[in-house]
Amino acid sequence: MNQFMRKYIAVVDAMNYRVGRVAMYGIFVLVGVLMWSSISKTFFNPSMWTLEIAQFAMVAYYILGGPYSIQMGANVRMDLLYGSWPSRKKMWVDSFTIFCLIFYLGVLLYGAYDSTAYSFKYNERSPTAWRPYLWPIKVTMFVGILLMLLQSFSELMKDILQLRGEEL
Amino acid sequence: MPYELIALFMFSTMMLMMLTGQRVFGAIGFVAVVTALMLWGTGGSDIPFSAAMKLMKWYPLLTLPMFIFMGYILSESKIADDLYKMFHVWMGPINGGLAIGTILLMVLVSAMNGLSVAGMAIGATIALPELLRRGYDKVMVTGVIQAGSSLGILVPPSVVLVLYAMIARQPVGQLWLAGVIPGLMMAALFIIYIVIRCKINPALGPVLPEEERNIPLSEKVKLLRAGLLPFGIFAAMMVPFVNGWTSLVESSAIGAMTAFVIAVVKGRMTKIVFENSVRQTLLISCMFMWIILAALGFGAVFDGVGAVRAIDTLFTEQLGLSPWTILILMQLSFIVMGTFLDDTAMLVIVAPLYVPLVGALGFDLIWYGVLYTITTQIAYMTPPFGYNLFLMRAMAPPEIGITDIYRSIIPFVFIMVLALALVMAFPGIALWLPEAIYGN
Repeated sequence: MNQFMRKYIAVVDAMNYRVGRVAMYGIFVLVGVLMWSSISKTFFNPSMWTLEIAQFAMVAYYILGGPYSIQMGANVRMDLLYGSWPSRKKMWVDSFTIFCLIFYLGVLLYGAYDSTAYSFKYNERSPTAWRPYLWPIKVTMFVGILLMLLQSFSELMKDILQLRGEEL
Repeated sequence: MPYELIALFMFSTMMLMMLTGQRVFGAIGFVAVVTALMLWGTGGSDIPFSAAMKLMKWYPLLTLPMFIFMGYILSESKIADDLYKMFHVWMGPINGGLAIGTILLMVLVSAMNGLSVAGMAIGATIALPELLRRGYDKVMVTGVIQAGSSLGILVPPSVVLVLYAMIARQPVGQLWLAGVIPGLMMAALFIIYIVIRCKINPALGPVLPEEERNIPLSEKVKLLRAGLLPFGIFAAMMVPFVNGWTSLVESSAIGAMTAFVIAVVKGRMTKIVFENSVRQTLLISCMFMWIILAALGFGAVFDGVGAVRAIDTLFTEQLGLSPWTILILMQLSFIVMGTFLDDTAMLVIVAPLYVPLVGALGFDLIWYGVLYTITTQIAYMTPPFGYNLFLMRAMAPPEIGITDIYRSIIPFVFIMVLALALVMAFPGIALWLPEAIYGN
């Protein structure tokens, strides 16, 4: 069991680390698209696609970067009580409350699946002048939320392993 | 179950969840999902994801990563160093001058980015050691830096007002304009406070020694060039926007690009600076975005049960309170909550509950945005949980202890409450500028 958990943590963390590191540079895609948008608007014909590409890029940026931000412990917690607890107590409490997070992400993933299936079935397009297909971004979101869920389990396993007195 | 009870259930469960120390977005999202499933069965299961689509379509939110990026470039590359030198030389000869200069520095830094982190970093790592070396009172200057940097979220561009705009469904441009005069007024109040303190007791802020003051005028004028940096960045963002060439979002990208290019040209964009600013931007953006995502889901459920109407009726009809009494009570409870809640948590807990209520009571939501931001500023600084307090402890030189930090903010919190009261009593302070510009 411990062996399995170690393996899982190693695989998931490595994968999410890579995805997150790639997403990190998405900020330059965002800046680039918006810069192009301002330049084309000022000097020649405005492009139709910039607004939506920027929105898609932003969503991909934060959804795919999410698991990496969990790894880095960047998601704020309310530490009124939590902050002063010893680390073993933190791990104990976390191993229970993380199921709330997992439950939320699960419902989110279910919604993403539903919505993605819909956009495949009806070839859903965005109701704008450019009319892009919506399935690529929805698939991206689905994958990102799935990775987020995998990362939450990895965090849980880290707590369990440490509570069992194992080194990580 | 009556609506009041559902609302109460949602908030108490969320508070309880938060006390366990689970990630904020998890706690909010969980409560939203559970309530939705309980009320509407499987029909409620699409709510969290449709919040994600709503978030995507909300165009001004794109400014958030841009301003975060800009803020981190400014603080990591330290391109604002010269700015401090400028104030140092020009303001040094008067009592308390360096502290006043620091407040002015913070105003300029605030005009370049939308969070208080950049101001904190510049203040604590550049200004603070200099001030201490010159014999300034450590408690006073610690307060100066914390209060000054908190202006970052009131003076445009402001990230907090972008988030507020999303929840209150108000135009970001008007909200930003509304923050200008209150922000400058607050800075002026800080300066008046410093001047008075230093008049009574000049030892708090000694003038610069003779040899440091004898700088030839030509040198002094040369230093003024540092002031070009904030004006350059501000102008690069605002000129195309005001002329209608670009939208707010595009302007924010131009601002981020300008800051980046300046850092490169000045040779400050080293590998470490690049890595830190790009990574921090991702992490902080993710933190904000996931919280907003969860909060939007929460808000949708909250709207769905009609809880706001119920609370409104409870206060105005059953308890017979006047709208102003309710507003003042809300602001007081907000400040109290702010002292023990994390600021981002507060943003998402308070906004969905208070903002629609304020609207239902008939108050101007642009004006309330300013009140909201000032209260958030206070919350940033008040112990035991203030983001600025933690940052300060992490960044300040070792001789500044935690008790110094706690003591330092007391007078500034009073000044901020005064500013809050002024804006409440005279809504024109906030509303005059947006009305003058958008009114026609």
